[in-house]
Amino acid sequence: MSVNKLKTLVLGLGNPILSDDSAGCRVAMVLQEKLHLPDVDIREASIAGLDFLDTLTGYDRTIIIDAIQTGQGTPGQIYRFGPEILAHTRHASTPHDVNLATALELGKKLKLELPREITIFAIEAEDVTSFSEECGPGVKRAIPQCVEMVIRELQIAS
Amino acid sequence: MAKISIDPITRLEGHGKIEIFLDADGAVANAYLQIPELRGFEKFCEGRPVEEMPRIVPRICGVCPGAHHMASAKTTDSVYHVDPPPAAKKLRELFYCAHMIHSHIACFYALSAPDFVLGPMSDPAQRNILGVVGKVGLQVGGEVIKHRAYAQQIQATIGGKATHPVCGIPGGMSKAINEEERKEFEEKAKSLVNFAQDSLKLFNDVVLSNKEYLNLITGDVYTMKSYYMGMVDAKNKVNFYDGDLRLVDSDGKEVVKFKAAQYLDYIAEHTEPWSYMKFPFLKKVGWKGFVEGKDSGVYRVSPLARLNASDGMATPQAQEAYDKMYQTLGGKPVHATMAFHWARLIELLYAAERLLELCRDKEITSPDVRTIPTATPDEGIGVVEAPRGVLIHHYKTDSNGIIQKVNMIVASAHNYPAMNISIKKAAQSLIKRGQPASEGLLNMVEMAFRAYDPCMGCATHTLPGQMPLEVLIRNEQGEIIQKLSRT
Repeated sequence: MSVNKLKTLVLGLGNPILSDDSAGCRVAMVLQEKLHLPDVDIREASIAGLDFLDTLTGYDRTIIIDAIQTGQGTPGQIYRFGPEILAHTRHASTPHDVNLATALELGKKLKLELPREITIFAIEAEDVTSFSEECGPGVKRAIPQCVEMVIRELQIAS
Repeated sequence: MAKISIDPITRLEGHGKIEIFLDADGAVANAYLQIPELRGFEKFCEGRPVEEMPRIVPRICGVCPGAHHMASAKTTDSVYHVDPPPAAKKLRELFYCAHMIHSHIACFYALSAPDFVLGPMSDPAQRNILGVVGKVGLQVGGEVIKHRAYAQQIQATIGGKATHPVCGIPGGMSKAINEEERKEFEEKAKSLVNFAQDSLKLFNDVVLSNKEYLNLITGDVYTMKSYYMGMVDAKNKVNFYDGDLRLVDSDGKEVVKFKAAQYLDYIAEHTEPWSYMKFPFLKKVGWKGFVEGKDSGVYRVSPLARLNASDGMATPQAQEAYDKMYQTLGGKPVHATMAFHWARLIELLYAAERLLELCRDKEITSPDVRTIPTATPDEGIGVVEAPRGVLIHHYKTDSNGIIQKVNMIVASAHNYPAMNISIKKAAQSLIKRGQPASEGLLNMVEMAFRAYDPCMGCATHTLPGQMPLEVLIRNEQGEIIQKLSRT
């Protein structure tokens, strides 16, 4: 299979009304306006756990954008990770369900067609406890930067 | 016992926390459950048109968006004094059954099953859904994923979006379903009934036929006598979407049955200096502290509370399962917190059977799904049974329908006093003086909390799901001597 035939899902996670928590969602919303590629689907969602299986099934590759609180970075700092970080970003883990890493492993066991390649962009969030449609200044600045990073990632891979 | 005040630094780091305090002899003196707070939901809503609420509230909670959506839609009906047509109510209930199914499946297989299928003291690395699938087989795992997706697809078709529904509006639903969709739902519902029966069979084979587990369920460690509250229909059968709230005491006797709109006559809230969250209690019994029994105003909501507060299930197979549970556990009411898991599966069966009934209802494809509101909006109260228990929404608007005030009592808030009691009781029974608690024992303390499947996010108006839980054990001086983190 040639590489550019890979079907890719760009998935922005977060709660759009919870300040910096919405970072991933907002990046996806900008990308939806900007990018129109035949083999790339862009979605924003507030999902967790087993719901990932329904969302990711059928894609070869996924780029996930989520908020993270490492406690060490400055708000708006962007990290690029492989799947090993999955249990640590805000929406990929949940005590109510299984975390994304577990969901993927389960999917693999059940022989679902899940992405073989997973890249995560995580944006350091400051305020994730106040209801607001606005992000803080750090995350606000990071959104266009992260958009560019995702676009570059897509170009490199395709 | 001297009052323990908790250092404010330890109060809040975005973690849910169980803090266990030992006395001088190393026995458990007290245990607290603490929850991080989220700010500004009421303020966020104020000044917005009330009809936006059903679309905003699902965003509070990633775990039960459907429950908030429905409670909100019902509250907007009440604000506009409008009664939706019968087909709209049925369609809402159909959607809602799918929501319950979706939530109960995840809760049982991802959350409850690891403790019972693998054992509470088993290797924590194995104690998850992968371990469960490893033990019960890949075929079961496949069925879980498939049926969860069925419930999700039904919600998405009716709700407009899978996780954040937009279908409920003041006076009814935004669109009807067609015959093709109905047929598809019916096929899925049939399969869901069988899946629910298989899940009960699995529970029977793996949990109930194991004497050790049965003792664990019925033993003192996880028993708590309390009042129970649940929504019932006109025949006092469990209903998730509509009805009156019925309260029974710890002997199972009905204390009162009331309309959602009267909730403030029956429920008051107590505050504690160590918690941001309030503690609801029964006004007429009064707050007597964190104590169980009939003299204490502590009550519980949950799948088991719904079964205890009702006279049965409205569908035949679920009724059979209901009877079996009470026969096995020694009659009504059941006070075993671990029986929440069993009750959840009985409700899964009811939700699937009711879903099938509604799919076969002649009116379900009727295009008449909305009554246009004409009255001036002012104030409204709406209630549904969320997967975890009674969910109340209450809005006040000006005469233009602009939100002035919002109040909500979510299931995990109702249960907050009881969760504290359950955790303390489990900690006192399991942690022996002078012996360091093993991971397995602490997991068993956590099981007391996990049975409620608390949605802390929603209880403090945060998005839940990302809340790691920590169990801290402190000695008499308040120093942390042991810590268990779960992410």
